[in-house]
Amino acid sequence: MLVNLDPQDARPLYLQIMDEVRRAVVVGTLRAEDPLPSVRELASELVVNPRTVSQAYQELEREGVIYVRRGQGTFVSPTVRRGAGERRSLAMAVAKRALLEARRNGVAVDELVSMIQKLAAKEDE
Amino acid sequence: MNGLPESFAVTTRGLSMRYGEQTALDGVDLRIPEGAVYVLIGANGAGKSTAMKVLLNLERPDAGRVEVFGLDTASHGPEVRAQAGYIPESHEHDYKWMTCGRLIRHAAVHYPAWDHAYAEQLVRVFGVHPERRIGTLSKGETRRVQFVLALAHRPPLLLLDEPTDGLDPMARNRALTQLAEHLADTPTTVLISTHHIHEVESLADHVGMLSAGRLVAQLSRDEMRRTVLRYRVEVPEGWQPPGELRIASTRRSPGGREVQWTLVGEERDVTARLHAAGATVREVTPLALEEAALAFLGEEETA
Repeated sequence: MLVNLDPQDARPLYLQIMDEVRRAVVVGTLRAEDPLPSVRELASELVVNPRTVSQAYQELEREGVIYVRRGQGTFVSPTVRRGAGERRSLAMAVAKRALLEARRNGVAVDELVSMIQKLAAKEDE
Repeated sequence: MNGLPESFAVTTRGLSMRYGEQTALDGVDLRIPEGAVYVLIGANGAGKSTAMKVLLNLERPDAGRVEVFGLDTASHGPEVRAQAGYIPESHEHDYKWMTCGRLIRHAAVHYPAWDHAYAEQLVRVFGVHPERRIGTLSKGETRRVQFVLALAHRPPLLLLDEPTDGLDPMARNRALTQLAEHLADTPTTVLISTHHIHEVESLADHVGMLSAGRLVAQLSRDEMRRTVLRYRVEVPEGWQPPGELRIASTRRSPGGREVQWTLVGEERDVTARLHAAGATVREVTPLALEEAALAFLGEEETA
């Protein structure tokens, strides 16, 4: 799994880390029972406060995406699927960004939606 | 955040200090939570370095008190210094004739908690040459030795005054990475002062802003992210902002119909006020630490 943080991103760092893990699960680069980097490793790699990584891992554990095996590390939950819940949170994040951009540009929601559909239809052709 | 009462590694009360005519500190009440990475931001001469020296009782304040881990610094200077790793702003060293290796061994004797294996690792990581004499080192090389000396006894408190000053980009990255690993391994409270705010942005969880010796704001990064925001607003011509808004910086489009502000306050509150005053909020964006700090310090001061 590769975690990328964007300094321009408005979201707090722990949320960015959570989304990166979710994304890895959805696209399949992280699968059930795969190990995650330790807090120390990820903090070092990203040069972030280890507490930030811990916070992200704790939230993900609470959501059942990952679990801690005592003394062995953190792993992706056996029950995790590349399915509904994770896809939904990812889709929501993407939609939020699009909505924000639309508002900034004075584009109405229905205009945005119909344009996305039009573009997607064109790509499918 | 976790509901436990916060305990503080460092507290100061009414810290004031003058150098002749110049005010270095003016009634500063620092609160540095245990385990925090606290960044002190301010212009040159705002009092950051003086504050660190006072915390270690290397300078005596004209008024006020300092407690470090519950110890009064004024009466327990040596005990406090034994628990602290300090990188001073200055690259000057008293022991110019010593070799780096000798200086490190000298420090090892001084600190009972010295971790020899870790010190050796740090010497390698920071590329310190033990046989070189201190007096012949460049600024950056001196800094690297100072990093070894500050970290190797794994002190519960680190005071880092412009720690990356003089380091080349590679060494800077190595130093910050090492610091992140250090924090994962060792419970530490860190106070960093820096002009390179973006460098420590991802490490910082608390922020204090000093302006002309006064601590004008002190808050957690989370709170800052929530309450210091940039608003892009459409306004009728000739519109005046409601007076009660705390406005930090303003940009106005030609024609004045679009305005961009950094405003301090809860988003819902600020948005409601803007709406009530006839403005349309187009966009609200959080700010990078540096931009947010400018909101408290005024743009001319941090330049």
